Amino acid sequence: MDTFLQQLINGLTVGSLYALVALGYTMVYGVMKLINFAHGDMVAFSAYVGLTIFTQFYGSNALSLVNIVIVFSLTAIVVAFIGVLLERLAYRPLRTAPRLSAVVSALGASLVIQNGIMLIWGPNMEIFPANVFPSTSWNFGGVIISFTQVVILALSAVLMISLYIFINKTKIGTAIRATAIDQSAAKLMGINVNRIIMTIFIVGSMLGAIGGLFIGIYYRGLTFDMGWLYGLNAFIAAIIGGIGSIPGAMLGGLLLGLFNAMISGYISTEWAETFTFILLIIILIVRPTGLLGEKTAEKV
Amino acid sequence: MDTKNTSIATLFIVVMALFPFVVDSAWLSIGITFLVFAVVAFSQDIILGRAGIFNMGHAIFFGMGAYTTAILNVHFGLEIVATIPFAILVPVVFSILLAGPIIHLRGDYLLVATIGFNIIFEQVLSNDIFGLTGGPNGIFGIDVVRVFGYELWSDIAIYYIAFGLLIITLFVIRNLDTSKYGRALYYINKDEIAAKSMGINISYYKLFAFALGAAIAGAAGSVFAIQYSAVSPESFNFMQSVMFFAIVLVGGSASLPGILIGTFVMFVLPELFTEFKESRYLIFGAAMVLTMILRPNGVWPAKFGNIPKFLKKKVVNKSEEK
Amino acid sequence: MNLKKITGAIALSAVVASSLIASNTVKIGVQAPITGKYANEGQSIENFVKLIVDEKNAQGGLLGKQIEVVTCDDEAKAQKAAVCAKKLSNAGVFAVIGSYTSGATEAAQTTYYRNKVLQTSDGTSDSLIKRKYWTFFRNSFPNSSQSDFTALYMVKGKQYKRIVVLSDYSSYSAGLGDATEASVKALGGNVIFRGKIKSGVQNFTATLTKIKAMNPDVIYYSGYYTDGGLLRSQQQQLQINADFVGGDSNDNPDFYKLAGKAAEGTVLINFPTPEILPYPEAKKYLSAYKARFKMDPPSIWPVTNADGLRAVIEGVEKTKSFDTKKIAQYVRQMKDFAGITGPFNIREDGERVGAKFVVYKMNANGTKKVVTE
Repeated sequence: MDTFLQQLINGLTVGSLYALVALGYTMVYGVMKLINFAHGDMVAFSAYVGLTIFTQFYGSNALSLVNIVIVFSLTAIVVAFIGVLLERLAYRPLRTAPRLSAVVSALGASLVIQNGIMLIWGPNMEIFPANVFPSTSWNFGGVIISFTQVVILALSAVLMISLYIFINKTKIGTAIRATAIDQSAAKLMGINVNRIIMTIFIVGSMLGAIGGLFIGIYYRGLTFDMGWLYGLNAFIAAIIGGIGSIPGAMLGGLLLGLFNAMISGYISTEWAETFTFILLIIILIVRPTGLLGEKTAEKV
Repeated sequence: MDTKNTSIATLFIVVMALFPFVVDSAWLSIGITFLVFAVVAFSQDIILGRAGIFNMGHAIFFGMGAYTTAILNVHFGLEIVATIPFAILVPVVFSILLAGPIIHLRGDYLLVATIGFNIIFEQVLSNDIFGLTGGPNGIFGIDVVRVFGYELWSDIAIYYIAFGLLIITLFVIRNLDTSKYGRALYYINKDEIAAKSMGINISYYKLFAFALGAAIAGAAGSVFAIQYSAVSPESFNFMQSVMFFAIVLVGGSASLPGILIGTFVMFVLPELFTEFKESRYLIFGAAMVLTMILRPNGVWPAKFGNIPKFLKKKVVNKSEEK
Repeated sequence: MNLKKITGAIALSAVVASSLIASNTVKIGVQAPITGKYANEGQSIENFVKLIVDEKNAQGGLLGKQIEVVTCDDEAKAQKAAVCAKKLSNAGVFAVIGSYTSGATEAAQTTYYRNKVLQTSDGTSDSLIKRKYWTFFRNSFPNSSQSDFTALYMVKGKQYKRIVVLSDYSSYSAGLGDATEASVKALGGNVIFRGKIKSGVQNFTATLTKIKAMNPDVIYYSGYYTDGGLLRSQQQQLQINADFVGGDSNDNPDFYKLAGKAAEGTVLINFPTPEILPYPEAKKYLSAYKARFKMDPPSIWPVTNADGLRAVIEGVEKTKSFDTKKIAQYVRQMKDFAGITGPFNIREDGERVGAKFVVYKMNANGTKKVVTE
């Protein structure tokens, strides 16, 4: 039983990270119908930025709570800025172009960011210090949960709930939902679509940044191309939950983490990813709008 | 195909036929790579450019062809020439098996499904399934092509094999364009609902596009395996599919000069810029973004069915006269 | 067919030889992971080659010709390695030092063989010698000798009763893992689990949790340091009370960084590492390396590759030619060539013989000490 619980805890932790990243994808897709392939690389970028801030300003000493909050906030701001830049340069000029052109632009942007990381930080693996969070862990009858895991689970939950409130209970959130349903109608209602899009990029990037930092702290080995696969997995999570739906992205992320952990633990590690993608394809065939997505009628 | 395209094609063929005699061996290797990837790009163009199917998993068929040749040759001792029919057949069979269940999906979802298949394919290769696929290091030690006792292992020989494949591909595409299948694909791309109401069986023609694209890509895969005597999973991963996807869109869908330009930009230009060794892909990615912004339809878009500009101007002038 | 092959071979080596005689430089290739996760190994291999080449050039060159080094980055990937093989062969090198990983070495082997370019590598996978290419010789020791030593240590030395053997999927690591499992079983040891992890996944908690339930007393990992360090760190985090024994490719400074505090007490089985090599060549070249590059080589592998290069150079000078067939034959009949890593002897099929292994224990501060049994 405790093995199962252990896998559960590990799975949920990884799942929360997926969820944070998936939110960025789903928000952009919901409003712009664009798969932001560069998002995964932004997440990797955040991890690198965070690492630099840690080592530049703090060396490798264990940090106090205040310092950690500062580092997280700084990273989030830097990454949000780059996110807005990305939108402005690579996506805005293509608002009226064929859909596929924007996809290619996104792929191009992804390459730029990935290789930008390589040029700035070098092609070797960078290693996150092990002592950002204290390495205490608690043992509940054979199930180990570490301080880092608790922080990840707690903070992710807080962030997701806050985002949910933001989207559903605030004016800006309503404007975002309106823009997602119909951009032209939203414009007619007086919503500044450009600003809305900028907002979702900021929020999405910030969430991704926090996710990226956690990935750095939890996984510790950073390579410049790690964003690619990670982003793809998060995107799959968003689809499973229902692309365009924010609760969907959260649910999808958690489910994906759990699914992965269970398959790796009980069936086989080498085929874990294959099972994940088979699940994806089954969902796409049977219920393409995902678990929480809404079926919209397509106008002809 | 109109005369402009035909003359470009002829010029290109002549240049490429004489290419090996004017360049050194480093460039010859690049030339072979260009030919092989151009063939794959053309096969992707059939699916993405002409039929308009968002296929981002094309590396699967390329890889199946390469691995089929590798496995049959290294594990079962088949002569390379004998493996080629299988290298074509296996991708075709799989293309129908894989595309069948997903062919009815809406654009973006189909895209994601093909990505999913690609990742699964990579895993199957990396996990050394049935002990055949050789794990993450792939299969090496592939034999040379042997025809009537002659060993065709020099780069020049491989170049002409690839060149021959390209000629065949261009031929197939020319025939496709002037046939019932080509027209059906074009209409499906332009307006699927209208095509359906005209009695065109969408799924049938889309699957046909997949199968044809897979067959050609498989043949190219075989040549790729011959060229390097080794195959490994990372040559057929999602990133490669993205490359092929980008070639078609950056070059220009369904456009012969466009595809050639796209392949050149994607695979040859990085070789030219080895001085900027580290920033190659960055400049590349930036070029992709810029190209889409400046020319959203590709560098050299196809003009089939579009009203030429000078005719449009005349109509406007006439109505202004009134 | 034979006549055609022979004429082809003669023609080719004549062309190669004549072009070498005609020009004033000869080219030696380096195929290594200059970028990517094993970059510090690849860069060090290139550095060592340059060190030795520059020394030779300052002494007047090789048979009077200056040596030019041509490097190709294979990123430790098999396909890039195949591309590098073509590139370096086309560039006209007569010998290649490379690569660091067995996988990249294998992918390139056939092309070098067909082009009659000599190749030497530190790859330890037994499969490298399988085809007995005359162009190839190994400069390190094979997995099969390492596995026997490891099994002896674990079964007879430490008397572990519940042994877990882990590897990744590469031919080197899976090969070493399989060989070790077989050696352990041959000595009557008890392997309770033989598992594989995917390199680069970084999160091994699922596999480790599964292993924890089996109550092992030792985990043996036959893969690379980039995963080994994380495995060790996560093992401690999950409070699995077992010893950790790593195979040779866990030896790298990055292991310590990744494992953090958990590095303390990790056991490593490897060939004698640079700092404990007692040979005069070792002192000379290691201090020269440190003086020029301001750091020690990250492991023993760049050093064995340096020995491979020195063996090739010795072969050229003793046979007074750049005929790769003659050099290969000479290298195989050398007796106890004075290598930086000890007596250098190559068997007929290209295998290096005379393997020696050492057991180390890692300290938390990034150093390791030899453990005497």
